Amino acid sequence: MVETASDISWEDVARVYGRKIYNFAYRLTGNPDDAHDLVQEVLLRVRRGLPTYRPGSFEGWLWRITRNAFLDDVRRRKRRPTTALPDELDRTGLVSSPAPDEVLASIRLGEDIQKALLDLPYDFREAVVLCDVVGLSYEEIAQAVEAPIGTVRSRIHRGRRMLRERLG
Amino acid sequence: MIHLGELLSAHLDGELSPAERDRVAEHLEECDRCRDELEDLAAARAAVRSLPLVEVPATALGLPEPVVVPLTRRKSVWAGMAAAAAAISIVVASVLAPDGTAVTPQDLSDPFGARVSLDPGFTPTKVAQVRVATGEFAE
Repeated sequence: MVETASDISWEDVARVYGRKIYNFAYRLTGNPDDAHDLVQEVLLRVRRGLPTYRPGSFEGWLWRITRNAFLDDVRRRKRRPTTALPDELDRTGLVSSPAPDEVLASIRLGEDIQKALLDLPYDFREAVVLCDVVGLSYEEIAQAVEAPIGTVRSRIHRGRRMLRERLG
Repeated sequence: MIHLGELLSAHLDGELSPAERDRVAEHLEECDRCRDELEDLAAARAAVRSLPLVEVPATALGLPEPVVVPLTRRKSVWAGMAAAAAAISIVVASVLAPDGTAVTPQDLSDPFGARVSLDPGFTPTKVAQVRVATGEFAE
């Protein structure tokens, strides 16, 4: 557990949490450029904020910064047109080599899930992503989004119900 | 009958209090509707969890390049270790020489002295030569 600012550097945060922060934004937006920018912005804020970090839940602190950076970015852009879903075929390099049917099927399923996520209202999408992509506890999510834990529980539940309807 | 609602999602996430856990277990025993809903929620949860974690581009992290130790420095460390190992093997060979001569603790206090005492042909000049050859005076 991180007790004081001197226990951790922004480089540690980048190494340990960079990938999760990237995936948080990527799954919320479906846009790799947005995710890239968010990671840079969060690390900048962490670097500035670490000297004043006080012992507590480091995860809650970090994800509150991440979430605020994300929302600031959304407000600032007001928003540039959301690009289509990134072409996962290109990303995984499967275009050039034939893939087994089950691999292609799982990629299509992944795209369907991502699309269904993007259909959810923001609060529900955020709660589901923090829970099931980032892997935070309800308590950590409550700290990150500055909402009561009961609200978090309700958002996750309703978000999953909506997802189930969309995925059929 | 009051159905479980959001307790079902919390149940899947292991986020229930012990009292809530008991209530959920009891209710699920007798309620088809909540069992069906639990299945649907579990499927939605599994779907999102099945999404692969995408690798973050290195440019997003902005970490400094790892420090590379110069090769020459590493070589000299290994050379030093090799010299030390050679010196040790000579000492061990000397002390364990199977000529029946007992080696006293006094002899062992100076390995080269021990070698001299065991091998009359091993003169102080040779000791100096071995010490140079094994790198003892090299640095």
